[in-house]
Amino acid sequence: MVIENSDISGIKVDNVGDFVFPERNKYDSGFGITEQTVDYICDVKGDPDWIREFRKKALKIFQDKPMPTHWATKDLENIKFDEFRYYLSDGQKPKRSWDEVPEDVKRTFDRLGIPEQERKFLAGVEAQYDSEAAYSNIKAAVSEQGVIFVNSTEGLHKHPEIFRKWFGKVIPTGDNKFSALNSAVFSGGSFIYVPPGVKVKHPLQAYFRINSEQFGQFERTLIIADEGAEIMYMEGCTAPKFETATLHSAVVELVAMKGAKIQYVTVQNWSSNVFNLVTKRGIAHEDAVVKWIDCNIGSRLTMKYPGVIMKGKRARGEVISIALANSGQHQDTGAKMVHAADDTTSNVISKSISVGEGRATYRGLVHIPKHLKGCKNNTECDALLINPNSRTDTYPAISVRGNKHATQHEASVSQVSADQIFYLMQRGLSEGEAMSLSVNGFINDLAKEFPMEYSVELKRLIDLEMEGSVG
Amino acid sequence: MSLKITDLHAGLPDREILKGLTLEINPGEVHAVMGPNGSGKSTLSKVMAGHEDYAVTSGTVELDGINLLDMAVDARARAGLFLAFQYPHEIPGVSNANFLRAAKKSRLPEGEEIDAIKFYKDMYARMDALEMDRSFTSRSVNEGFSGGEKKRNEILQLMMLEPKYAVLDETDSGLDIDALKIVARGVNAMRSPDRGFLLITHYQRLLNYIQPDFVHVLKEGRIVLSGGKELALELEAKGYDWVKEEGLPLAA
Amino acid sequence: MDTTVLDNPPDTLPERETLAPSGLQIIVPSREDLEALPAWFRERTASAWKDFQRLPVPSVKSEPWRYSNSKRVTLSDLHPACGASADEEQQAIEQSHPISGAAARLVFVNDRLIHRDADKLPAGVVCVSLAEALRDHEALLKQHFMKRESFLGSAKFAALHLAHVKAGTVVFVPKDVVVEHPIEIFHWVTESNAAIFPHTLVVTAEHAQVKVIDHYRSSNGAPALSCAVADIIAGAGSSITYVSCQELGEKGQALHLSSTTTHHDSKVKSFQVQLGAEFSRSESVSDLVGAGSRSDMLSVSMPVRDQVVDQRTLQRHHAPHTYSDLLYKNALYDRARSIFSGLIHVFENAHFTDAYQTCRNLINSEEAEASSMPGLEINADQVKCSHGSTSSPVSDEELFYLKARGIPDTEARRLIVLGFVSAAVSRIEDESIETMIRERMEEKFARMVIA
Repeated sequence: MVIENSDISGIKVDNVGDFVFPERNKYDSGFGITEQTVDYICDVKGDPDWIREFRKKALKIFQDKPMPTHWATKDLENIKFDEFRYYLSDGQKPKRSWDEVPEDVKRTFDRLGIPEQERKFLAGVEAQYDSEAAYSNIKAAVSEQGVIFVNSTEGLHKHPEIFRKWFGKVIPTGDNKFSALNSAVFSGGSFIYVPPGVKVKHPLQAYFRINSEQFGQFERTLIIADEGAEIMYMEGCTAPKFETATLHSAVVELVAMKGAKIQYVTVQNWSSNVFNLVTKRGIAHEDAVVKWIDCNIGSRLTMKYPGVIMKGKRARGEVISIALANSGQHQDTGAKMVHAADDTTSNVISKSISVGEGRATYRGLVHIPKHLKGCKNNTECDALLINPNSRTDTYPAISVRGNKHATQHEASVSQVSADQIFYLMQRGLSEGEAMSLSVNGFINDLAKEFPMEYSVELKRLIDLEMEGSVG
Repeated sequence: MSLKITDLHAGLPDREILKGLTLEINPGEVHAVMGPNGSGKSTLSKVMAGHEDYAVTSGTVELDGINLLDMAVDARARAGLFLAFQYPHEIPGVSNANFLRAAKKSRLPEGEEIDAIKFYKDMYARMDALEMDRSFTSRSVNEGFSGGEKKRNEILQLMMLEPKYAVLDETDSGLDIDALKIVARGVNAMRSPDRGFLLITHYQRLLNYIQPDFVHVLKEGRIVLSGGKELALELEAKGYDWVKEEGLPLAA
Repeated sequence: MDTTVLDNPPDTLPERETLAPSGLQIIVPSREDLEALPAWFRERTASAWKDFQRLPVPSVKSEPWRYSNSKRVTLSDLHPACGASADEEQQAIEQSHPISGAAARLVFVNDRLIHRDADKLPAGVVCVSLAEALRDHEALLKQHFMKRESFLGSAKFAALHLAHVKAGTVVFVPKDVVVEHPIEIFHWVTESNAAIFPHTLVVTAEHAQVKVIDHYRSSNGAPALSCAVADIIAGAGSSITYVSCQELGEKGQALHLSSTTTHHDSKVKSFQVQLGAEFSRSESVSDLVGAGSRSDMLSVSMPVRDQVVDQRTLQRHHAPHTYSDLLYKNALYDRARSIFSGLIHVFENAHFTDAYQTCRNLINSEEAEASSMPGLEINADQVKCSHGSTSSPVSDEELFYLKARGIPDTEARRLIVLGFVSAAVSRIEDESIETMIRERMEEKFARMVIA
């Protein structure tokens, strides 16, 4: 890791997010989580009473709920909730121009390439630094169409009529221990509303950066695409590699009204000390589409199962996910597809790569209850093992009632075989190149689902992770 | 300047298969090695290319004076040795075009890039010669290919990578006569005074279309008889046992 | 009713009135021939009885019982089965039609051996009742009798079986001996509210071959429980085919725990046919302990009305170069439910393993429900593993095609279902056994039509 002070010139940006700036926080909730922590956050943010109540109720649920270790990894028990700080900010409002953003924060996002991407192909950007957004901007042409793109605090203050209607409705506070934790201390994240019929051409992007040690980031995102609207949202995440654990626990709720389409793209590249425990779910109304495109690289433990509740007829849910687990990492990911109306379709394609002693786990849930007809699910999950000690597990659960539906689930585990590497090397490729080509071949059809810029980034990140895995 | 195999002993860890094989291929020459099943034909190609399942116990393989046996698989390939596989491996998800570009690029000095326009132009011209559909470029390497398509793809790679020496391992197996003619046309187009070929085959049929300068008979891990192209016809007519029965002298 | 309390721990509460801590009421074991049993066996059954009482009823929320419910296993009104009338016994023997050419036939009624015909067995083959085995083949039993931990959620019921077990069959085939035709065992329960605890142990020595079929049947539709255990142990290079054909009455409950162990280069095919009972849970474990060994796990079921078929499987690859292939086929009707949960576990050193697992559900009604949980846990290298699970209705095109040839709807559907299961049935590769399974299915079809 690079400790930053003032001069960053001449430093090679090759391990992406592994650098840190000194903290200069005006607000710091201190270590541990109690009712005082919640009050502190509410006071700093000037939350309305209903949010204060919402948070306190959530805190109670969080404290009462046990860790889900009866099915999940015991590594969860190593999370020491008293050793994190739950809110850190410099007390500044998000800036509309990069020139106004404090120098260290600006440099952080420069290094991560955010302003450059914004210029090239984005309709709007929000950049969160620890607990609060440092920068938030939407292109004038997009906001003129009535699209709202702000952080969650601003969303609940300025657009309560839309915010309150959907907030916490897709993912109830008590869905799981970590959704309850997020509900108690959430800060940052995006609030997006796209008016009926508006199709936002370019993606909106959020970037979540953790800079401080022993810190928990709890952003909360709510996206509503009104009837016939379309939006693509992309998020990226990084943190420096600290000796101590870092916690990231987000809640993301998507609402796609009749005929709307939401695509949510994540390229996560957490450092390997991060516990990344995220709850993501969307509701798709009639003829709507909710699509999660999810790439998980890094972190110590990721538990993330994006879901879609297909509430209206002919709604469609999709999860496309790529996970790469290196030594010391456990990618526990999957998908939840709940069919709640006739003729709904869901599709899950998951590919995982286990490198070194890494472990990749797929968990899936597909539920097609009674009294429905014409529901379809297709699930494919493929795992690639690179080294002899790599590990992979698959635990899907599919429940279908009635003879008007079709589900199919296929999973496979394979290796890059020695003969495949030999063939490629006989054509002149080095062993590393042969492995990289093979791995990229394995994920190739999924990488195409990502926007071009992200697809390139994805391949680069995977190559970086694969380094030293052969020979 | 030659591809020179000298007194090569090699095999699997528990079994010696090549037992003192000697053979020299000069640029411009086409040699055919024929032999019955189990004589060590496929072992020869894999040992030359450096497959890890096989161990060399003694002898040398030199390419223009460089000892190949000290080199890794990819280094041998870049030094100019090409192996057309008997069973070309499927590489899921990797397109033919990307694969060939990566292989071409590995032969360029560090940092140098492929001229993409020229690359595609060359590739299309050669695909046309092999009567390959353009859709081949975007299909994954050998995945879902028929036997004939796989062999044609091997020859396309040969044409694109332009090695100094090419070893064709049972390239004729599994080909119908039309496909065989196309493959042979590709190989013949690549014949040049600067390039040597080693054809490994069980059947004489291939040699009707690719005329060898020399024919060798491989038996029990050694070359037991060498001659001109007429030897192939004689073998076809009389069978491999004839070599033994005739008690013909060992080739040099 | 016989409720003689034997080997009962002093602190055990009397009679059946009592609720175990688990919430399930207790069936107290009854043994008539206590003196004849070896001490080690008595100790094990006594300690199993304690285990049964100690172990909690598996929670509905526990993963091995997901989508199912252990509360469906109602022990409260059951008692251990006791003697049957001479008429009932005679009827059972008459209805236990063996496969033609069967090498041996054993008939049990209410956990008592009433008939044995084993003349055609080659010399040296042991095919005896559990009681005889305890007397004459103690070493074999000490080595193999219920040596396995219960992984798949029914530790409590395995303990119940061990506490009660008195009837069953022990088969041992010596080195190089081939038993060509199947050994067939029939277990009947004739009493209402009775529980039987059939036990099967099959052991082969090097390069031996044998086929064993267990039938579980009721003489009527009254409530009854079959809590059975079958352990199949294949010695090096040997080959075993084992079929369990469960046809209990419509208010029956079946809890069938089976396991196979394959040593070096051995092959085992185990086949579960689930046709009867209101609730039928099978737990099947394959342990591939010897390199080069192979295990085929097969099943067909055809639940109708409110029948529940609950299947839990585990393929454990301990050794390299092992091969397992599971194919479960369920054809569901009416309000029936099927639950399949399977796991392939490849241990650290089991490189070059091939493991496959497929569960296919054919749903023939609007209210039938199929749940599948196919799982993989891979810790080794150079492994080929896959699983697949599908649930779908009979294809309209397929149905149309058959009807267009003049075949009536019911008949067309019957043909399609038989075609659907045949991929599993034909893997037995024994024509007489395949025919037997198809006949049992036809018999159920015939009853469905009448109903």
